Amino acid sequence: MADKEKLGNFTKQDAPTYESVLQCMRCGFCLPTCPTFALTGRERSSPRGRVALARAVAEEKLDFNKAMKEEAFFCLDCRACTTACPSGVKAGEVMEVCRSQVHQQIDQPKWQKLFRSFVLEKMVPNPDLMETSMLPARLYQKLGVQWLVRNSHILKMAPKWIEKAEGMMPELHQPLRQRVPELTPARGEKRGKVAFFLGCVMTLMYAEVSRQTVRVLSHQGFDVITPKDQKCCGAPHLTEGDRETTRQMATHNLDLFLDLDVDAIVTDCAGCGSALKEYEELLAERQDHAKLEKFHSLIKDVSEFLVEQGIRTDELKTINKSVTYHEPCHLCHAQGISKQPRDLIKAIPGIDFREMNEASWCCGSAATFSLKFTEESQKILDRKLDNVKDTEADILVTANPGCHLQLAWGLREAGMPQPVMHLIELLGEATPE
Amino acid sequence: MISATVAQQLIDKLGKENVIAEKEDLLVLGYDSTPGLHAMPDVVVYPTDSEQVQAVVEIARDNKIPFTPRGSGTGLSGGSIPVNGGIVICLNKLNKILEIDEENLTATCQAGVVTLDLFNAVAEKGLFYPPDPGSQKISTLGGNVMEDAGGLRGLKYGVTRDYVMGLKCVLPDGTLLDTGGKSVKDVAGYAFKDLLIGSEGTLAIITELTVKLIPPPQDKRTFLAYFKNIRTAGEAVSKIIAAKIIPSTMEIMDKATINCVEDYVKIGLPREMAALLLIEVDGHPAVVAEEAAEVEKVLKAVGADDVQMAKDAEHAGELAAARRTALSALARVSPTTLLEDATVPRSMLANTFDLIEKLAEKYKLTVGTFGHAGDGNLHPTVLCDERNEDEMKRAHAFYDELYEQVLEWGGTVSGEHGIGIAKKGYLAKQIGPGGVAVMKRIKRSFDPDGLLNPGKIFADDQE
Repeated sequence: MADKEKLGNFTKQDAPTYESVLQCMRCGFCLPTCPTFALTGRERSSPRGRVALARAVAEEKLDFNKAMKEEAFFCLDCRACTTACPSGVKAGEVMEVCRSQVHQQIDQPKWQKLFRSFVLEKMVPNPDLMETSMLPARLYQKLGVQWLVRNSHILKMAPKWIEKAEGMMPELHQPLRQRVPELTPARGEKRGKVAFFLGCVMTLMYAEVSRQTVRVLSHQGFDVITPKDQKCCGAPHLTEGDRETTRQMATHNLDLFLDLDVDAIVTDCAGCGSALKEYEELLAERQDHAKLEKFHSLIKDVSEFLVEQGIRTDELKTINKSVTYHEPCHLCHAQGISKQPRDLIKAIPGIDFREMNEASWCCGSAATFSLKFTEESQKILDRKLDNVKDTEADILVTANPGCHLQLAWGLREAGMPQPVMHLIELLGEATPE
Repeated sequence: MISATVAQQLIDKLGKENVIAEKEDLLVLGYDSTPGLHAMPDVVVYPTDSEQVQAVVEIARDNKIPFTPRGSGTGLSGGSIPVNGGIVICLNKLNKILEIDEENLTATCQAGVVTLDLFNAVAEKGLFYPPDPGSQKISTLGGNVMEDAGGLRGLKYGVTRDYVMGLKCVLPDGTLLDTGGKSVKDVAGYAFKDLLIGSEGTLAIITELTVKLIPPPQDKRTFLAYFKNIRTAGEAVSKIIAAKIIPSTMEIMDKATINCVEDYVKIGLPREMAALLLIEVDGHPAVVAEEAAEVEKVLKAVGADDVQMAKDAEHAGELAAARRTALSALARVSPTTLLEDATVPRSMLANTFDLIEKLAEKYKLTVGTFGHAGDGNLHPTVLCDERNEDEMKRAHAFYDELYEQVLEWGGTVSGEHGIGIAKKGYLAKQIGPGGVAVMKRIKRSFDPDGLLNPGKIFADDQE
């Protein structure tokens, strides 16, 4: 969205375009779909209001001020408004770009700046550093310190977000990147060759889930190539408003994966899939268009890919369980993938699928939203948990690590019996060794 | 500007959390869905009951501050825009459904209840509230009443006016007025209720309303009829009515609209057709079957190029939902969508399509037309760019000429959106100086100081 001319009170670099805000005709169709509007009833915290504020900045009626910063980060970026908008306005994306304006225009304490640039520019782009940083957490679990901390309730004295962050941590295993082979050959009749994009959160926190993804893909008849020197997709940087670092990593991943000559680049993380599909727009001014288009066409969420190829069900084991499905925002709203995950769940023999109300309503995780706005996040989560409860399903399935962390934590805190499973975990359970 | 004293009075009565004066909030509470219109209120309040509305009105009255009611801001004529600043009274927190009375077949609710929420609540009890404006998912009933909102079911079931039985409101002098109620008949004195419906928020502020409910139709059938010539579609409408069938819905979309809607919903609408009619017949299953067969016969006779029946209720719902997105979907094409609300006697529909086509060509404009064909109510929408002055001039000339003819045919300048800010001149043409003078006298008798929602329907004397 980089614009040549400076637009109103935005800076030149990474600003919304005037067209993107003029497009809104203020019909209000987005209002009932916006979790933060539902929460506050405040127009400025609605997609229509946020776009109007961005327009006011563009028209120099408003400075890019503290309120803009608040709205840019209070927006969950769940994109439900994009799905609801007949006019094609992308309020979530406008706010995402505004996050970059926040860092350009609003002064922050020096330590915050340093910390942010260390995490986003040094740590996340470096998989080795990321993996090393997880070691203390794994030791913390292995040595029983976690048991001690949780049972002593010592964290009740810490800020709420620390307690929640600690509580959300799943059981950690050795990161998948370190142990997955470069090539996992197809089993049975071979149907093609795919590259596997390892999400950071998936490989670090849900290594066992991603291991299932590789296994399922191979069982479904695909050679799976997992290049070790892939980097973070850049989604954390987009949500924190650091579009430049995203571009650097995007360029790296683009060349790396295109060189592999595969039929598809598959990911099991909705957030990564959505970011990878945005490379085309992000790099529009720096890369050859045909190359970007090619890359975009190869990116597939694992459910999107398997349904497209047709899932082989003849060897699948029966799972006699009732299942409900929470749609990750970055799958259904950002990528328009809604039917495929359901098709996949229903393809498993024995499954009793139960649709929940408001399946595509955000769970309140939304990257770091759940830690920055613990109270609001809890309210959004409670609404989701009520809908889960009504289904009386045995298992809650989702397809994104952010949702997974939030939902698992929420169910446990609420004393609800359902385990949360990634879609691929369920399919993995049905897939013979 | 509001003085600190007034601000404090408002806070005392409503509580700090319900009085908002931050610039970022004010910036987004002075618009509705009407293009190009925007004003800044000085302060916005969110009353939580009738008494608080009354308290705000009293403060405004005593301090001579203009005040304007607002629901969800989905109006299409600028009805909730505070043209002179002052206080905007947001009624969204008055959002309780108070009673669904199954013996009297009525529902009573506060003004800020969302239209679809009421529809769903009564549907759960096996009842039906028919008015369904395009924005029903978020529009409020108070706003529906004030604009006398229509919808897709107008042809058979009528509009909001036909369902309002009672209103509770606050008059500009601060008194509470209770008019109508659950009695089916009521001729006690002037029919205030009927005067207030469609008064565009200029006579009183509604806080509570009672509406009539009916049993839902047992069965329905939905058709899509495609036409290579939009004039034929217009003829089909008149012929169906002439066959003594009143469908619940008879909606039209022209080629431009079909394409924009299809871009959004992707349900396989035929992009090459000049027009489509969405027709629904409902009622007793036997009657529905008979009427459906008759409609099909008429459509074939007038020369529809294709007629398809919806597969099931879900498919029918999808089609109606697609139609509801028409206006917003047209906004995909251009930054500005100027929408009008011309309504003609049904028999003139085919001629109106011809006229729109001719004028669009004359003024070199892109126009998408959709609307409630069965009601003769069309929304010719100019797709333009507000930054292009010349184009905007041509758009206004287009509407001037269109309305002149519409009035000559015995039509009206607004079927369901209201006069508001933009169409004051057209109204004067329609009802003449005598009509405007009486309206002004009515307004003054309710609101002698002209504080309630100023600048709407007719020009102020100073203008």
